[in-house]
Amino acid sequence: MTSIATEAPPLAESRPSRHAMRVRCRRRTLPYLLLAPSLLLLAGFTYWPIVRVVWDSLHDRILGQAASRFVGLGNYASLFSDHAFLKAVINNLVYAIGTVPLSMVLALLFALALQRSTRVNAILRALLLFPSMVPLVAAASLFFFIFLPGVGLFDYYLAKIGLRGANWLGDPDIALWSLIGITVWKNAGYYMLFYLAGLQTLPGDVLEAATIDGASAWQRLRHVIVPLLAPTTAFVLVIALINVLTQVDHVIVLTKGGPSNSTKLVLYYIFEQAHENFAAGKAAAASVLSVAFLLAMSVVSLKTMERGTHAAS
Amino acid sequence: MRWLPSLAAAALAALVPALAGAQTKIDFFFPVPVDGKLAKEMTRLVKVYNESQKDIAVTAVYTGSYDETKLKAQAAASAGKPPAVVLMSANFVLDLKLSGDLISLEPMLKADGTTREKFLADFWPALHANATVDGELYAVPYQNSTPLLYYNKDHFKEAGLDPEKPPQTWAELVADAKKLTKGSGDNVERYGFALPEGYDYMGWIMEALTMSNGGRYFNEEYGGEVYYDTPSMLGAAQFVEDLVFKHKVMQQGVVEGGAVSTNFLAGKISMMLLSTGSLSFIRDNMKANYGVAFVPRNVRNAVPIGGGSLVMFKGLNDEQKAAGWKFIKWLSSAETLAGWSRFTGYFAPRKSSYDLPDMKDFIAKNADAKVALDQLPYAKPWFATYQTVAVRKALEDEIQAVLNGKKKAAQAVKDAQRNADALMKPYVDQTALKLP
Repeated sequence: MTSIATEAPPLAESRPSRHAMRVRCRRRTLPYLLLAPSLLLLAGFTYWPIVRVVWDSLHDRILGQAASRFVGLGNYASLFSDHAFLKAVINNLVYAIGTVPLSMVLALLFALALQRSTRVNAILRALLLFPSMVPLVAAASLFFFIFLPGVGLFDYYLAKIGLRGANWLGDPDIALWSLIGITVWKNAGYYMLFYLAGLQTLPGDVLEAATIDGASAWQRLRHVIVPLLAPTTAFVLVIALINVLTQVDHVIVLTKGGPSNSTKLVLYYIFEQAHENFAAGKAAAASVLSVAFLLAMSVVSLKTMERGTHAAS
Repeated sequence: MRWLPSLAAAALAALVPALAGAQTKIDFFFPVPVDGKLAKEMTRLVKVYNESQKDIAVTAVYTGSYDETKLKAQAAASAGKPPAVVLMSANFVLDLKLSGDLISLEPMLKADGTTREKFLADFWPALHANATVDGELYAVPYQNSTPLLYYNKDHFKEAGLDPEKPPQTWAELVADAKKLTKGSGDNVERYGFALPEGYDYMGWIMEALTMSNGGRYFNEEYGGEVYYDTPSMLGAAQFVEDLVFKHKVMQQGVVEGGAVSTNFLAGKISMMLLSTGSLSFIRDNMKANYGVAFVPRNVRNAVPIGGGSLVMFKGLNDEQKAAGWKFIKWLSSAETLAGWSRFTGYFAPRKSSYDLPDMKDFIAKNADAKVALDQLPYAKPWFATYQTVAVRKALEDEIQAVLNGKKKAAQAVKDAQRNADALMKPYVDQTALKLP
C-alpha cells in the first residue's frame, strides 16, 4: 500500500499510459502478495498434509523395509473388510445420533429459557457454559471417578434414591452411552451460546405480529423462532458434526475403545492403526474417508445455511 | 542493536565446543509410566552422568507415557534426528525391530570384546527373551515388574482367615474370596477379588493366569505364534468366567486398573492382582493393613515380566552410536540400577544389584519388596509378537466379552486365536510359511 503512495505519483506525471498498466499489474499481484503469508502457512500445514495423507492412503509399507509400494485402493479395500473399522463407523453413527440432536435441543431450550438478560440468568448461563470451559481430557479424568463402579459419585447418589448403579464404563452395552452423556454435558452449554446470539438477531416485529395474530407460545416457537434460527442451527450442526469426528480425548482417557471395541470411534481406530499396528496406509485411508465425509457434510450444511438466510431476509 | 554483541558472543560460546569436536551430544528419550517424581530423578541421574565425564553430553528428554515415547522416537527418527538412547516398553522391541527402527547392539558388544551370552549372564533369565530378536541383542533391560497378589489383612481377620496365610493356589483363592465377599446378588458390598481388566493390563494378567496354569501365551522364539486356543489359556479364561458367574466373587464387566486400586484402597475389594510397580503407591496410600504374595498357581508358579528396556534407533553416526552405548552401559550398571530400583519400586534387572549393601538393607526393611524379589526366579518373558498390541487386543476383547457374560470362555479363546492368526498372517506368510 505504502509503496503505491510513494512511487506512483512521479510516474503518473511523466507517462500516464504506462502508469495505468503498472497500476493494473499491481492491482493484480498485490492481493496475492498480501495473501502470501497465510497461503504459505496453509500450504505447509494444511494442503501439503492433505496431499501427503492421500498419497499415504494409496501406498503400503512392506514388512521390514523402509520403502513403500503403490497399492491403489488396496488400503481402502482392507479397511472395509476390517470388522473393527465397520464397528468403529457404527459406533460413530450411534455416537452422532446420541449426541448431536440431544445437545442441540438442550442448547436451544437453555437459550430460550435464559434469553432475557437478568442477573440470575447471567449466573445460570455461566453455570451451563462451565462444562465447555473444562478441557475434555480434564473432564474425562473427573468422570473416571464419577463412573467408578460401586464407589463412584454417580453410584453413590443413585444408591441414595434406592437405585442400583451399573458398571458404566465396563459394560459394552452401556459404555458408549456413558461417553455420549459426557459429550452432551460438555457441549450443550457451548451450543447454547450460538443460540443465544441467534435469538438476539431475531426481528422483534415478526414475533410481535405473531403474538397479535394470537399464536400460542408453542406456535411461535414452531413456526416463527425455529425457522428463523435455521442459519444458526445449520452452523451449530456443522460444529457438532466436526466434534463427533474430531474429539477422542474421553475415549483415550476412559475406555481406550473398549470393552470389546464397544467405544471405538473412527478417530481412535485411526490412532490405533497408525501407532499401535504400524499400518500407516490404513490409517491414512480412514483419515481420507473421514475428512471427505466432514467436507461433504459441511458443504451441505452451509448450503442449507445460505438458503436459510435467503428465507429469513 | 546493543544486544547484538552479546548475541554474537552467545552464538560463539555455543559453537566453540561443537567446533572443537571434543563432546558428542546425544538425546535420551525416557517415559515415566507412573508419576512425576521419577522424571525428576531421571533428570538428576543424567546430570550426574554428564558431570562425571567430558566426552559425552546427554540431553534427557521426558517423553510422556510408553506409547508417546514410541511415537516421539519414531517421529524424531523419520525427521532425521534419531534419539541415541530410548527407554522403551520391553514388548515393543520386537515390533520396532521388525519395522526396521532399531539397530542391533551386537557390533558394540563385539567392540567391547564380549558376547551376548556374557553380557546377559548377570540379567535375570526371564529378561533375555525380550532383549533379543532373531538371536541378536537389541535392548538392555532397565526397569522391570511382575504381577503380585495384594490382599487386605484386616478383611482376612474379619472373615476368620489367617492374615499371614494368603492363598497360594487357585482353589485357595476361590475359597478365601468367597469368605471375603460380603452381600450377594444385587447387593454386594464387597468383592473378594478383582483383576485389572482394561486394555494392556488385561493381556498381561491373562498371561500371568495362563502361565500359572502351565501355559506360555506366545512363542518366545518366533513372533508369529500365540497359544490362545489351548487348554492352559482355556482354563485361565474359564477361571475368570467362574470367578464372576459361578463363584460370584468378582464384579461383572470390565474394571480398569485404576478403578481396581481405588477399590482396594477404599476397602471395596479384599484381594487383587496388580503390578509390583504399584507397590510404593499402595504403600503410601493404604490405610488398612495389607500384604503381598505370589500370584496363586493352578499348575505351577509363573508370572510374566513387564517394564522398560534401553534401545538405540537407526540413523545415528558412529560417534553417536559409541556415545549412546557408553551411556547405556553406565545407566545399566549394577549400582545405577540398584538406586533406580529403590527409588521407583521396579525391580533391578541385574542380579548383582541385589548383592550391594544398600540393596540388602532395603530388602531387609521392606518385606513386600522381598516378596516381589522372591517371585523373580519364577518369572517368564513378556509377550511380544508381530503386531504385539493388536494381537494382545484380540484376546482382551474376547475376555472382556466373557467378563460381561456375552461369551463363554470356550468360544472366546477360539475366536481370539482366529483373530490373532489373521493379524499375524502377513508375517507368517513371509517367514515360517515361505518355503523353497
